[in-house]
Amino acid sequence: MPAILEVDHLVKKYGDFEAVKGISFEVEAGEVFGLLGPNGAGKTQTISMLTGVIEPTSGSARVGGYDIHSDMDKAKRINGLVPQDLALYPTLSARANLNFFGRIYGLGGKDLKERVEDVLRIVALTERADEAVEHYSGGMKRRVNIAAGLLHHPKLLFLDEPTVGVDPQSRNHIFESVMRLNRERGMSIVYTSHYMEEVELLCNRVAIIDQGEIIALDTIKNLIALLGGGVIHVGLERVDDDLLTELSNLKGVKSAELTTQPVPPPPSEEDDVETIEREPASTNPVVKVVAEHSQTAVVNVISYLNEKDITLTSLEILEPNLESVFLHLTGKKLRE
Amino acid sequence: MNALNIAFKDIQIFLKDRGALFQLFLLPLVFIVAFSAVAASFEAEEQDQRIPLHVVDLDGGREAQTFLVGLDEAGGVKVELIAADGAMQKLEDNEIPRLLTIPQDFTEGISEGRTVTLRLVSHPDASLEKTEAVRLVIEGVAQDMALEYQILASLQQMGEMQANAPEDYQEAFAVEKIVAQAQSQFAQSQERPLVTIEQTIPGQESEVEELPSTAEVAVPGFTVLFVFLTAQSTARSIYDEKKVGSFRRLLSAPISKVSLLAGKVLPNFITALIQTAIIFLFGAYGLRLMGFTPVKLGSDPVALTLAVLSIALCSSALGVVIAALARTENQIGGLSTLILWGLGTLGGSIVPYFILENMLGPIPMALPHYWANKALDDIMVRGMMLGDVSLSLIVLLGFTLAFFLVGLWRFDFD
Repeated sequence: MPAILEVDHLVKKYGDFEAVKGISFEVEAGEVFGLLGPNGAGKTQTISMLTGVIEPTSGSARVGGYDIHSDMDKAKRINGLVPQDLALYPTLSARANLNFFGRIYGLGGKDLKERVEDVLRIVALTERADEAVEHYSGGMKRRVNIAAGLLHHPKLLFLDEPTVGVDPQSRNHIFESVMRLNRERGMSIVYTSHYMEEVELLCNRVAIIDQGEIIALDTIKNLIALLGGGVIHVGLERVDDDLLTELSNLKGVKSAELTTQPVPPPPSEEDDVETIEREPASTNPVVKVVAEHSQTAVVNVISYLNEKDITLTSLEILEPNLESVFLHLTGKKLRE
Repeated sequence: MNALNIAFKDIQIFLKDRGALFQLFLLPLVFIVAFSAVAASFEAEEQDQRIPLHVVDLDGGREAQTFLVGLDEAGGVKVELIAADGAMQKLEDNEIPRLLTIPQDFTEGISEGRTVTLRLVSHPDASLEKTEAVRLVIEGVAQDMALEYQILASLQQMGEMQANAPEDYQEAFAVEKIVAQAQSQFAQSQERPLVTIEQTIPGQESEVEELPSTAEVAVPGFTVLFVFLTAQSTARSIYDEKKVGSFRRLLSAPISKVSLLAGKVLPNFITALIQTAIIFLFGAYGLRLMGFTPVKLGSDPVALTLAVLSIALCSSALGVVIAALARTENQIGGLSTLILWGLGTLGGSIVPYFILENMLGPIPMALPHYWANKALDDIMVRGMMLGDVSLSLIVLLGFTLAFFLVGLWRFDFD
């Protein structure tokens, strides 16, 4: 598959602060590509550079073969942006908003009318299209926000955190729309989110971004494989090098090392991180055990510690998923 | 084309904002009516009162007292005696509108039948009609007084002559003779008045210019004030666009930054033109219907049109500057209040610029509002033509260019 987006060492600096630190990646035509990272990781800045909202400090990128420095106007006609903010005019109706954004792309007359009806159908808002947007629910506004990015039939759609603040029903509707656009219209999509389950559901490949850098880029399967059979955080009263070596040699254990981060606090109701078991946070040292097979590793680690009479202060078994991958790679949670 | 699309969209949004519609189109009319009504009530109140006349009495003698009592009793004039020291300064500072000085030798001169001269000085801004009324009252009282004195003096002289005359000459003092004598004295008093008035207006060699009416001051002044207030709408519209994120969406579309800014400025320009048309039509026709004096729109429609376009353009450019400098909604509100109301006040939109010139010297000339007010005032009140107001229009366009450059330089597209 040819690449519809090629990003090469893109940098964005604000004074001394480097918001995006020379990232590079490619998106293939027809692909749904995820940019996963916590808030402030540099996802929006990256998208902003690729869509011409802000100028890169250095580096380059090509959208549909057009250089973003020399051919941005052509690149903009291939791109579609659905910004994280609800970029709509609240006092105007959904139809008036869409008509305006369509005209900005040079559409008019019958063509514009048909396209507005088409995108309203895609986001299932035809019946309420003449109501002022300010009277819509958060989810409906998000759907109009997406519709506005589809009017000019972009080949590459940037969806920047499109589900922030929406109800589950609207979220599902957005997922369906994204999948249908990709499947039926062959639209390439760059999807940014800090919700790992969204990325897991929608994306073929994912770049994990943190502090302006891509720290991992692969298919979801391969990224999760980095964890082997899972990761176990074991809190202990004391740790030394001999103990780490012994733990590493246990059956079912791939590696064991002292983590630099304390065990995360207990999950709140809103947390999406799936944990099998979790003990209260500990200030004792924590050993990160990467397992080849998590159940075998847990049994063997606990048996070994009992045998050596070492007190266990906490135990956390992380299920293999992107959240665990992120935690494994950065030592922090996606939503910290 | 995209600029027009953005402008059309902004006008659609604007038309749904009732608060903004009221502020931009109705509030100026409310101000003008209120201003005219207050001024009219003051004028009506003034009509019930006598015209104040401040008098410096350097003589202090019997005849001067008689003269002052005569003035006071004549009606129409309210005599207020003030000290000679600082009297002229008060007049120059416009604290008193006119000053009458009775010379030191007034009583002596009258007694000796010499002509004495009263000095009436009025401030350039004092009402010409009132000054003329005061002059007529002074003249009337002085003439009556002189006539009375001359006749009494001649009759006294006749009496003395009759008492001392021999029997044979008594017929010379017959009633007919005395009446003829009195008539002759009356004629003389007309030809050779004992009291004359010297009237001067400091700093004014030519005829005093008639001051404009309240509406003639209010309509151009409030037009300028409110047209410049639309700059706030431009700034707020740009801020709102950034706040909701649609500015980012527009930046991601194939549209140049210049078109984007032009699209944001254009509604302000159109609004300012509509606003001006409404205010002018109201000034010319609406005020008459409400019983106030209407305004004239001058005699050069081309000059008036160009002046209005220049003011609207300058206001639009100022909106870009405010949008570029303000980062928050509060800053827009604060800056707008400071800049637009401040400039409006200092530039002669509330207090007429020709009065501010006396108070603030050349400071108002550094403000666009001053030139806008001057241009409209010159065209509408003084009936000047395009050539006469070209300097004001050039200065306004200079301000416009400077505002656009500063706005573009400081504008944060990120």
